[in-house]
Amino acid sequence: MKIYFQIIKNTWDEYMVYRLNFILWRVRMVMQILVTYFLWWAIFSQRELFGGYTESMMLTYILLSSIVRTIVLGTTTMEVGEVINRGNLSNHLVRPLSFFSYYIARDIGDKLLNFMFSLVEIGLLFVILHPPVFLQMQPLVVLTAAAAVVIGAVLYFMFSMILGLLGFWTPDIWGPRFLSFVVMEFFAGGVFPLDILPQGIFLLTKGLPFYYFLYFPLGIYLGKISGWELVNGFAMSFVWIFGLGILLRALWLRGLKVYSAEGK
Amino acid sequence: MRTLIKYFHLWLKLTENSFLISFTGKFNASLFLLGKALRFALTMGFIIVLFMQATKLADYGLVEFMFFFLTFNLIDTVTQLFFREVYRFRPMVVSGDFDLVLVKPMNPLFRALAGGADPLDLLMLIPYVGILIVVAGRLGVATVPNVLAYLLLVANGLVIATGFHILVLALAIATTEIDHAVMIYRDLTGMGRVQVDIYREPMRTVLMFVIPVGLMMTVPAKAFLGLLSPWFIAFSVLFGGAFFFLCFKIWNVALTKYSSASS
Repeated sequence: MKIYFQIIKNTWDEYMVYRLNFILWRVRMVMQILVTYFLWWAIFSQRELFGGYTESMMLTYILLSSIVRTIVLGTTTMEVGEVINRGNLSNHLVRPLSFFSYYIARDIGDKLLNFMFSLVEIGLLFVILHPPVFLQMQPLVVLTAAAAVVIGAVLYFMFSMILGLLGFWTPDIWGPRFLSFVVMEFFAGGVFPLDILPQGIFLLTKGLPFYYFLYFPLGIYLGKISGWELVNGFAMSFVWIFGLGILLRALWLRGLKVYSAEGK
Repeated sequence: MRTLIKYFHLWLKLTENSFLISFTGKFNASLFLLGKALRFALTMGFIIVLFMQATKLADYGLVEFMFFFLTFNLIDTVTQLFFREVYRFRPMVVSGDFDLVLVKPMNPLFRALAGGADPLDLLMLIPYVGILIVVAGRLGVATVPNVLAYLLLVANGLVIATGFHILVLALAIATTEIDHAVMIYRDLTGMGRVQVDIYREPMRTVLMFVIPVGLMMTVPAKAFLGLLSPWFIAFSVLFGGAFFFLCFKIWNVALTKYSSASS
């Protein structure tokens, strides 16, 4: 366990070497929230309800999504493709520590640091903008939403790792990642809740793993997902974890067979 | 004139090299192209979804809202098309490879700024401009003065964007601590994806006159819609010129701070 704490600490130290860089990274995140926040604020300045959402629910969704995003989408696995391409994977293979455990620990470090900063940022935005917010008063719903956040984080870790493992077969690792960013940004529900989409498209999004990254936990918190829909959602997310897990394992084992430590 | 021709030939050569590099990885290039097209289509789709439930947004209708986004997209894409090399500048400074640029008989700013156009953005620009023209036509305000004012202010937006890119280059020399300054620029200008009128004060004023994203992205579209006075158009152009001049001065100062680290 001690070793994992050390990896988390190392990840923090790494970020703190270039403090200004990290702070500006957070500034970028705030700017991205502001665009979405003000877009919805402008929409609700002329109406009380949009797609079944009140102003407080929608602004809560947008602000909370920026916090959930740090936990679910905060990752260091984006470097995996390059680690493989440059032959640095060899260093990991000779260590008495699993490659995946190493990146899980690194991701926890990344998520914790970004989560703490996002709390401060959202706190400041609350003070400055005074947005109307929706407070979920049922502890069980909050706990269920928190569980969905953890599931989202596991799913995204697997998804991002799979993209990284493509590095075993191609040096062109940024194209697939860019495409996945574009699709994910829309279908994860980071800019808007997915249920405002036309019914047919919304149903389609439910079959994608992206649905479980942001929209699913936020929908639970806002009380939009409950009952059978909630059960189905958890069942479907476990199916995705299982499916991606099998794919990840297969790619890793096959990848190791073709790995030639090129670049070392 | 001879200098201009020399730099045009240089730019062609550098662009040819850049195109060759981009198409070496055909798989990557096609996925980037697909991603860009998809991002554009999804954003347009999102705007349509918004207007399925609202007739007006910040006093603008669907076609006007699309026109603001398409103008942003035009300026953003043209900028990326010409200034893609800015994304590769910081590693050049950190590794000390910028020395090799400085010793060449070529303006270092030209090399750092425009040393290779992006073919993917060139390809994307064709449908973007086509859709922009169709949407502009549907607005029903395409008079000669409006079109001229629009073109002038789009050019002004590109001048401001050039200024921003020069600032990013200057920052890369002044401090090696920031590795995503150009992405900060992208996020800042991304605030112009929607017309800056939707932001609250004082943010609206900041985005218009301090970080002139509004002048870059919103003002050209407003001019086309005939919502601006000639005075404001003149002011925008003067502001754009002054901003560019200031950025150029900052670059000159930054260049004297280059320490040739790691070389």
